[in-house]
Amino acid sequence: MPESRRDFVDGYACREVVELATEYLEGAMTPQQMTRFELHLNLCDGCFTFVEQVRATAGMARSLSEDEIPEETKVKLLEAFRGWRNE
Amino acid sequence: MERLLGGDERAFEEAVADMYPTMLAVARGYVRNRTVAEEVVQEAWVAVLKGLERFEGRSTFRTWVLAIVANIARTRAVREARSLPFSSFEIEDGEPAVEPERFREAGQPYAGGWKSFPTDWRTLPESRLLASETFDLVGRAIEELPDAQRTVITLRDVTGCSAEEVCETLGISEGNQRVLLHRARARVRTQLERHLDA
Repeated sequence: MPESRRDFVDGYACREVVELATEYLEGAMTPQQMTRFELHLNLCDGCFTFVEQVRATAGMARSLSEDEIPEETKVKLLEAFRGWRNE
Repeated sequence: MERLLGGDERAFEEAVADMYPTMLAVARGYVRNRTVAEEVVQEAWVAVLKGLERFEGRSTFRTWVLAIVANIARTRAVREARSLPFSSFEIEDGEPAVEPERFREAGQPYAGGWKSFPTDWRTLPESRLLASETFDLVGRAIEELPDAQRTVITLRDVTGCSAEEVCETLGISEGNQRVLLHRARARVRTQLERHLDA
């Protein structure tokens, strides 16, 4: 597999990159870490794809339909609100 | 907020509906039973109304409400003798984000590199990625996570809280918040990969 022939001596190995994906996406890396990380992503399609998959996973979670408040709870809370207002 | 204080019922209804998913997720971080978690949310709103006039705006309204939910849920968890997930969560288990078998072994050329690359999901037909069963799978994968991981990914990725809000509400450090988010996203990604590669 020629595309995975990388020199890992000065950079991160793919195994390390996958553990740093969230640090990277959260902007929690030092500038030095980020440079090494992005250097790896520029050279490695596998890790680039992995990071995109993590981003896509978060994006899909964002489009899930959220829990809706049960009608019963809403009614109870409105009663509580009216009680509070009339105090 | 001012409309709430003024007794505007519509404003209250909106706030209740808007904050419900986030409040429920916080409550479920501490109490496993969904019905109990719903009770916690109700109790929290009653407490919010009681304290509304004393709310000083030092934090945002949302952070303040979430702190109240977390407090009530914690009390409930202690009463039910449940261990608190965020005081002793499983950070030390060091579960890898990707199965170690996916990488070349130590001592071999390119050790720690991918044996074969993950699939670029952008090359899949859109119908596959956007199918409702794919979203269902994401929802189920999140539900199956350990409590602390499920809570963090739900708050961050599903309901859209900021990292700061999550740390403050759950009383965890930024580093621990990231570890939990990372483990959670990694597990959900693995489930998605299995589904989409099948």
